Amino acid sequence: MKRFSKLVIKYRVVIIIITTLLTLVSGYFLKDLQINADITSYLPKSDPVVKLFDQIGEQYGGTLIALIALETDDIFNKETIEKINHLTQEYKKVEDVSYVTSITNVLDIKTDEEGTLQISRLIDEYDLPSTHEDLQELKDYILSKDMYRGRLVSEDAKATLIICCLQEGTDKMKTAGQMKEIIRNADVKEKVSYGGIPFQMMDISEIIQDDLKLLLPLVLLMIFISLLFAFRSLRGVLLPILSVVICTIWTLGLMSILKIPITAISNIIPVILIAIGSAYSIHVISKFNEDVVTEEDRVKQSEKALSEISIPVLLAAVTTMVGFVAFAFGSYLTMIREFGIFSGLGVFFALVISITFVPSVLSLLPVKRRISSSNEDDSKRKNGMARFMDKISEGVLKNEKAIIIGSAIIVLISIFGIPKIQRKVDMLDYFEPGTSIRLAEELLQSKFGGSIPIQILVKGDIQDPVVLKQMKKMEEFLKSQNVHNPQSVADLIEEMSYAMGGGKGIPDSKDKVSNLWFLLEGEDIMSQLVNPDKTEALIQATITTVDTKQVRKLVGAIEDYIGKTNTSEFSFTQTGMPLIYQHLDDSIILSQVQSLIIALILVFICLLILFRSFTGGLIGLAPIGFTLVIIFGFMGLSGIPLDIATVLVGSISIGIGIDYSIHFGTRFRREFKKAKTEREALEKTLETTGEAILINVITVMMGFLVLIFANLIPLRRFCILIAITMVGSGVGAVTLMPAIILLTKAGFVGSFKKFINKAKNHMKRS
Amino acid sequence: MRQIMQQVQNLIMKISKEDIMIKVISYCLLSLMVFIPQGWAEDMVPTASKIIEEVDNVINAPKDQDLMIKLILIDKNGKENVREMNMLQKGSDKRMVKFLSPASYKGIAFLSLPDDVSYLYLPAFKKVRRIASHVKNTKFAGTDFTYEDMESKRFSEKYMPELLRMEKKEIEVEMQDGDNESNKKREIEFYIIKLIPQEGVRSDYSKLIMWVRADNFYPTRIEHYDKGEKLFKIVNRDKIEKCGEYWISRESEMEDLKAKHKTVMIIEDMKFDSNLPDSKFTERYLSR
Repeated sequence: MKRFSKLVIKYRVVIIIITTLLTLVSGYFLKDLQINADITSYLPKSDPVVKLFDQIGEQYGGTLIALIALETDDIFNKETIEKINHLTQEYKKVEDVSYVTSITNVLDIKTDEEGTLQISRLIDEYDLPSTHEDLQELKDYILSKDMYRGRLVSEDAKATLIICCLQEGTDKMKTAGQMKEIIRNADVKEKVSYGGIPFQMMDISEIIQDDLKLLLPLVLLMIFISLLFAFRSLRGVLLPILSVVICTIWTLGLMSILKIPITAISNIIPVILIAIGSAYSIHVISKFNEDVVTEEDRVKQSEKALSEISIPVLLAAVTTMVGFVAFAFGSYLTMIREFGIFSGLGVFFALVISITFVPSVLSLLPVKRRISSSNEDDSKRKNGMARFMDKISEGVLKNEKAIIIGSAIIVLISIFGIPKIQRKVDMLDYFEPGTSIRLAEELLQSKFGGSIPIQILVKGDIQDPVVLKQMKKMEEFLKSQNVHNPQSVADLIEEMSYAMGGGKGIPDSKDKVSNLWFLLEGEDIMSQLVNPDKTEALIQATITTVDTKQVRKLVGAIEDYIGKTNTSEFSFTQTGMPLIYQHLDDSIILSQVQSLIIALILVFICLLILFRSFTGGLIGLAPIGFTLVIIFGFMGLSGIPLDIATVLVGSISIGIGIDYSIHFGTRFRREFKKAKTEREALEKTLETTGEAILINVITVMMGFLVLIFANLIPLRRFCILIAITMVGSGVGAVTLMPAIILLTKAGFVGSFKKFINKAKNHMKRS
Repeated sequence: MRQIMQQVQNLIMKISKEDIMIKVISYCLLSLMVFIPQGWAEDMVPTASKIIEEVDNVINAPKDQDLMIKLILIDKNGKENVREMNMLQKGSDKRMVKFLSPASYKGIAFLSLPDDVSYLYLPAFKKVRRIASHVKNTKFAGTDFTYEDMESKRFSEKYMPELLRMEKKEIEVEMQDGDNESNKKREIEFYIIKLIPQEGVRSDYSKLIMWVRADNFYPTRIEHYDKGEKLFKIVNRDKIEKCGEYWISRESEMEDLKAKHKTVMIIEDMKFDSNLPDSKFTERYLSR
């Protein structure tokens, strides 16, 4: 470390120049940073569920739908119909929209009074109904048909839908943006709502940007204030802020260069870096303030200060990185892995900056002069703080058993809460109730059977009446499971057969089916429902909720049904969002468990190396174990679900919280060796490191609490949990950890035998 | 000279709506123009309307046609699907289409009569049904041709033409009797014409751009633009041969750029002016 610090001080000017250059380059690339809110991309592309989903999207013109709902007193009026027609035409022109379905262009099959077969658009775009009678007739007809009622027009005729299928593998948010633009330009008098995942993504992405714009300055402000109180100097405030800004720019710049987009999870990275990264430079600055006192020996003293402080800073950073890297190995979800890798890198950058750039600048600055008045204040404050810390140590010594029992009770209560933890992967859950996207979804749920697509892939000879009949049966089954608006080529064949005078139901011969098929061939809707070889077909439907429990039940029920009906002649396979969600849900649990275990093991190894003792390692883990149980218990009891953001809390807690155990453990060991009594060792440790821990807890907590103002709900929950982590592991480190050490007389801190037992007993009694 | 002619013609067209007499005269004038010998107007470029008139005449020249047609449907993966049909047409408004293959479509027949009267026969149902034919943008039998593309309406009745430019292009010209081998590739002059649907005409297209051979007025390429003014379908007509008195493209291709789908239409056999009887264009004949 001495060589390292000599090098740093020697090349300090070079370091400052390189840092500046790197920052400028990364800053330049920031402009290309992409935002990705696509929920299907959370799972890796190689995932079988995602693969099938994408394949189907490719084959059938896109699996994601964007819905535009128009609402008015009665949509069957001349202007509204004209507007729907206009919008339908406009949407068709949008580059990445593969299919548009609305009442003005949907395929309609019927026979009129004279027995003329009509295979046409439901409404003739060149001859829109305009008279009252025409409109009434249209209304009666549409509401009489299952194909349209509750699918394209609500039962009360107050709302209608334009359904757009988005091409696979395109920028869905861009398309959603174009669709909104079209509405803005069309002077729509009706109330417009936007539903479906593409619009949700767009809103999420906007919220992410807003959150970043609003929260970053706020976090910086909080840190600014805390630092001002701690250091009362410009360098003490500006340097940590500068260093976190630099490491954030590096991290985001690198993401941009590597073309890795910001997601609903990784948008936390800047905030995390600011909250965590500032701590490292703070340690360095305070050490410099302490040790670099004379102008003449500035360089020498700087070298010494740096070599002493870089070890604890390095350790703290490494354990935090371990917490993040655990995600990279422990998570199946792409976006969580990316988050882990880049947060880890960010912490690494923060470390590098705090032990190279910050000392370089510090060693160039004139020695800090101490103003006598502030010195007085300082000592007063310290006295107050020290008294408080002394009280804590007294309390710990007196009540070691009570602390442990108290902690045990808290742990027990928490354990009771853990099974109650809910899981949520619903994108809608990101938004507050009452936001336009939630209202739109509620409208879609109550009037149109939801916006979440579900598909059943059918393999077999699709023109075989047996297969078609099975498809109809499957549709009936889906309806019984609260799946809405199932639609397949079987429905079209049935309609067509009826219109041809073949009676209701699927015709009984393949010849008839293929004759009818001839009339449907080339219709837009056919390519959404059948492959060109007629060996595969889709049953498309929607569901209203992605509530984890209900989705699980539905997916299971469909799976059972499929298991019973599949034969060698034909097969059903389910796909669509419910399966994606269920897979996400499974992965979240798996991610949680795996990354927690990995983080715990890695951190334990760090502690083992540090304390060179197995019990020492275990005791070091105690505060964080305590905190983890509280966090999960709290989640269960308060109803905070495990979602894509809160799933991160466990491992992040380990990474951050372990720092306190390390700081406390190392200092206590050092003081223990010097001290005459346990009390003296504990008091000294708490006055120095203990105080630092509590200040750190408060500063970092302030940083995270800013996230309470985030618009993205998972982020908000995330910050509450992290705040609990800070308090839990901080307080745990200064109370629970010493209590356990004292009670077990663990040997890793030194030999307890050197103290006179009497003294301790005496103290206890008093 | 050309401008004067056009002005006169426009004037005549305007007046003609009101006065039958003038209409007759204008027709005479127009037909006179049509039959002006080419040598007479060597350096004179015909007007757009005249070119389209000629195109219509060339395409609709036969009194009746009996064609054996092979349709090859090619999807975006290059997979081919073949169907064969027999098409009988009398004048421009009577047409009978019968499918011969694939087996599942054999016997399916369509009959189109004047005034948008159409009938359909499905052999598996053994039923003739009248069908409403107002859906112009429906694709015909899985091809890239819509019913609008298939209708035999004259371009001059549907579109407003405008001559954009002339272009010389070397193309392969099918050999005719007496031509020798070296004549196969020839540089031919083309009129490039923009067609915009006339007011009140229902069309799926915002405009067509048509390449017309100056030597025989046969349209060899038509680009179809959708309502967003984007090119979305292209027809290419190849193997333009003279069969008796009439020019015909033995092989044409329609490509749908948006669906990445293609249809090749090959005329395998043809008979012209064989005096098809009206009885072949009846409901009864549909099911035979």
